[in-house]
Amino acid sequence: MIRLHNLRKSFGNNEVLKGINLEVDPSEVLVLIGPSGSGKSTLLRCINNLESPTGGEVTVDGEWVNRTDLKPRAFQKHINRVRTHMGMVFQHFNLFPHKTVLENILEAPTQVLHRNQEEITAEALELLDKVGLAEKKDSYPVQLSGGQQQRVAIARALAMRPSVMLFDEVTSALDPELVGEVLLVMESLAAEGMTMIVVTHEMGFAERVANRVVFMSEGQIVEEGVPKEIFSNPREERTKQFLADVLK
Amino acid sequence: MLDWQIITHYFPFLVKGAIITLEISVISLVLGLVAGLAAALCILSTNPLLHWPARFYVWIIRSTPLLVQLFIIYFGLPQFGIGLSPFWSGVLALALNTGAYNAETIRGGILAVPKGQREASRSLGMSKALTMRRIILPQALRLIIPPLGNNFVILIKDTSLVSTITLVELTLTAQRLIGSTYKPFEMYLMAAVLYAILTTGASLLLRQVERRTTWGHV
Repeated sequence: MIRLHNLRKSFGNNEVLKGINLEVDPSEVLVLIGPSGSGKSTLLRCINNLESPTGGEVTVDGEWVNRTDLKPRAFQKHINRVRTHMGMVFQHFNLFPHKTVLENILEAPTQVLHRNQEEITAEALELLDKVGLAEKKDSYPVQLSGGQQQRVAIARALAMRPSVMLFDEVTSALDPELVGEVLLVMESLAAEGMTMIVVTHEMGFAERVANRVVFMSEGQIVEEGVPKEIFSNPREERTKQFLADVLK
Repeated sequence: MLDWQIITHYFPFLVKGAIITLEISVISLVLGLVAGLAAALCILSTNPLLHWPARFYVWIIRSTPLLVQLFIIYFGLPQFGIGLSPFWSGVLALALNTGAYNAETIRGGILAVPKGQREASRSLGMSKALTMRRIILPQALRLIIPPLGNNFVILIKDTSLVSTITLVELTLTAQRLIGSTYKPFEMYLMAAVLYAILTTGASLLLRQVERRTTWGHV
């Protein structure tokens, strides 16, 4: 469903992704782990082209994402359409502060997909219910806790009915006691069969929920496998070192 | 001592002048906002054909005196067959002038919106234009209202320069009445009071707009 072929990304002279090959199957939950600066977030952001790859190919649902054969204007049209199939959740939530919770969720479905207001409102309320925030629909983001904001952000992404969800360190900015409520929402999403790529430092979540764990270091995939394998029996020295550092 | 008889007798004449000042202010303000927004968006554009002319516009206006700009438009343009009335010369000069300052104010506000807002919008499939209109500008508005208010107040006061091209607004009304009454203190005092009323009114109006952008903040 998602295929990265020889994906490269440089910022100036700094090569952050050094030829990544990766495939993600439908309904798979793939967790990316690795030290900071290893390129996990950049990899995630290359999938929906928030960062444009310097080389290689990104394919989602059989569609070439980072098309290099299009003129800028045509590419913008293409990428806007492709992005509607991919939901992304950010470390700092990035809710729209000038809109209520409900308006945040309705924004893209109504403005981009031009969906029927009534129909999508009913759906949005259902999503809010699912993330446990139905009673907050008329609140503004500033009135919510970090955990609540992040759950709204998940609902906002889901309202586009994406075929894949990208999670970029979504619990890293949360107070420790708020992490659980967000992970719980993600877990139930995984149980429903959503295809997910998750960059995280929550090793417990990775162990419980991931179908596959990928360990990255210095812009390369060092090791990948089922969680049990990676966590209890890592083959590579760098993986062992990293796990020893985070789990101690 | 103040000559109250003069004040009560001539006040209505000055109010008339103040109405002209108000008219020229409001029209310049609206045009200056449009010009400022357009210039700000052009400066932020990656297209050099938009970026550089806008940069040039802001630079040339900010580096020359308003009075000279006004004279070029009113006295200079007729040489090229473009003769504008004092009123519209004044409007054009003031709108171009305040527009350049608004451009910098608006550009600063747009840049101050956290980049995560743009990323979140784009990740949802929103186009650049839609993101600007629905997400960035409303948030920038909140940041630019106070400095924009400053520009408005300066604009209102700068309209007094238009008196130099024979537009009988508040300042020139006062000057003309001094010619016949020899009461400069009373006349200029009334003019000052009326300017203060106009600028304060503008500030209060803007505070109302600001109040609507609290979005849950206390």
